[in-house]
Amino acid sequence: MVGGTVSTPVLKGISFRIDKGEYVAIMGTSGTGKSTLMNILGCLDRPTAGHYRLDDTEVVTLDDEALSLLRNRKIGFVFQQFNLLDRTTALKNVMLPLIYADPYPADAQERAERALTSVGLADRMHYKPSELSGGQQQRVAIARALINDPEMILADEPTGNLDRRSGLEVLAVFQRLHGQGRTILLVTHDSAVAEHADRIVVLKDGSIAEDQKVERPHDAEAELREMGGKEVAP
Amino acid sequence: MKILRIAAEGASALTAHKLRSFFMMAGTVVGIAALTVIMAIGKGTEKKVMKRMENFGPRAIMLIAGGGKDLPPPDMTVTTLKLEDAEALRREIDGIEIVSPMAWSFQMGVHREGKQYQAVVWGVEPSWHDAWNWYARTGEGIASGDVATLTRACVIGETIRRELFGDADPIGEHVYINNVRLTVKGVLERRGVSPMGGDFDNRVVLPITTAMRRVMNIDHVGAIRIIVTNPSRLHERTEAIRALLHERHHITPPEEDDFRLVTPLVIADLARGTSWTLSLLLMALAALCLVVGGVVLMNILLISVSERKREIGLRRAVGATRRDIVAQFLTESLAVTFVGMLTGCVLGVGVCLILRRLTPMPVVLSWEPVALGLAFALLVGTCFGVQPARKAARLNPVEALR
Repeated sequence: MVGGTVSTPVLKGISFRIDKGEYVAIMGTSGTGKSTLMNILGCLDRPTAGHYRLDDTEVVTLDDEALSLLRNRKIGFVFQQFNLLDRTTALKNVMLPLIYADPYPADAQERAERALTSVGLADRMHYKPSELSGGQQQRVAIARALINDPEMILADEPTGNLDRRSGLEVLAVFQRLHGQGRTILLVTHDSAVAEHADRIVVLKDGSIAEDQKVERPHDAEAELREMGGKEVAP
Repeated sequence: MKILRIAAEGASALTAHKLRSFFMMAGTVVGIAALTVIMAIGKGTEKKVMKRMENFGPRAIMLIAGGGKDLPPPDMTVTTLKLEDAEALRREIDGIEIVSPMAWSFQMGVHREGKQYQAVVWGVEPSWHDAWNWYARTGEGIASGDVATLTRACVIGETIRRELFGDADPIGEHVYINNVRLTVKGVLERRGVSPMGGDFDNRVVLPITTAMRRVMNIDHVGAIRIIVTNPSRLHERTEAIRALLHERHHITPPEEDDFRLVTPLVIADLARGTSWTLSLLLMALAALCLVVGGVVLMNILLISVSERKREIGLRRAVGATRRDIVAQFLTESLAVTFVGMLTGCVLGVGVCLILRRLTPMPVVLSWEPVALGLAFALLVGTCFGVQPARKAARLNPVEALR
């Protein structure tokens, strides 16, 4: 269960709850407190007032070290800029969060291989980021977010740096993960992207303007098929 | 272990950025290499000095006729040093084991059956053998009877024996110096060549009385060798001797002495020459090199922290604590200085081996520079690594990722 209450000058009177297994898009134009909300939800930042409970842990009172630990165990980040380490293979990039995991899983490498396979990059494990396309790089980043089996995947404009096809590929991966029961939080300014989620929370001037279920979410796989060309693997 | 995984991250950052790593370690490499070479030369010089002192005799004082500060040969024109001075030393200075006066002459022709060799001729007392720890290899040395009766006898050095006698047995044979016929009663042990290149074995040793009255016709001596009982009181004895001679020769400083006292300490100073101050200066330069290298290291690390903001932000986002980030950057600086130190040591040893091959410079390799280098590397790596590491750890992950 992911849920909480947040209240700051940037974010005013926001209160919502996200349940386990939900696929939620947070929408808003820039300057609406979108990034601040995302940083708080990602345990990168603490609100000056209010509460945020992540999986029964009150985050607001935690110190820096405890927050690091929490991020390591419960959150998988996907960024707009991918943020992969260059000169490092896809496999090593995916294993990065495990460096800071205690205890270190004995099956670290197999887990990374499984994660890469699940995003369709089984044949690209030993490629470096410079040898991969943008869409592939973002899928490596998603595999990295999955490696610690997190409570929540937090994706910040994950399609922002990608062309439409690659963006759809990434969204298809999210939908598949959602189908497997993952909790996904997608932050975007683009309604066409947000329409792929089950629920859309719209921020406006630091408050929630809208919070509603999407009746018929777009199906990224179907859109890709419509576009023609090659299928997303696998 | 988490710390090992983090250390491996630091190390792989270094191998991934080879040029940057090279610049980071350059200062350490040069500094440690210089330190190794300088210390090896210093050690070699010290060994040379010890050997010179050992050769001179750690308990010996040479009282040489004539002023000035140089080593022998003495000033042959100074005639103020007498046998009576030796007597006075025996009588009035405590803690002295041997007082052995010598009349000496350089470049005297020694003749035998038409052959001639230029020898160094010393007139000595029997105590000369003990004072120099130099005895007859075959035959006999100078005895007290020889001195008392002005015996026309001599003991010859190895070179003289070879040049004048060849394979023949010299004992009982005769040689001539200044037309005085001398019977060879012994051959001295070989001493070889002095550090300055002089031959020690071109000596002829006579009873001091025979030398002064029959051969050289003088009433002064060239030098007196004194052996003290306790080497730790050498300085004290030297000063007592100086005072006694001032009194006997009616010299009041600042009037110039008509003698000089050479001690092992004087020998050591001469052997060291300016090398000691020079190597101190070079050591200071090497240390400076290490410090400058450390500053360069710090700067490059600081730049790399700015360059790698995103990486640091990412690591923080996926769960690295501040301490983990500090550990990674400290690993980088320590690994760089450690590898730099090893490279510097290897380079320094290489230079030492080349020096030993190609120059007469005394070079002695030892473990001290390696230990000192290691300590220095750790110190530099830590001191100059902490600041960048803390800067990296203090980055706000939100801003670093932007």
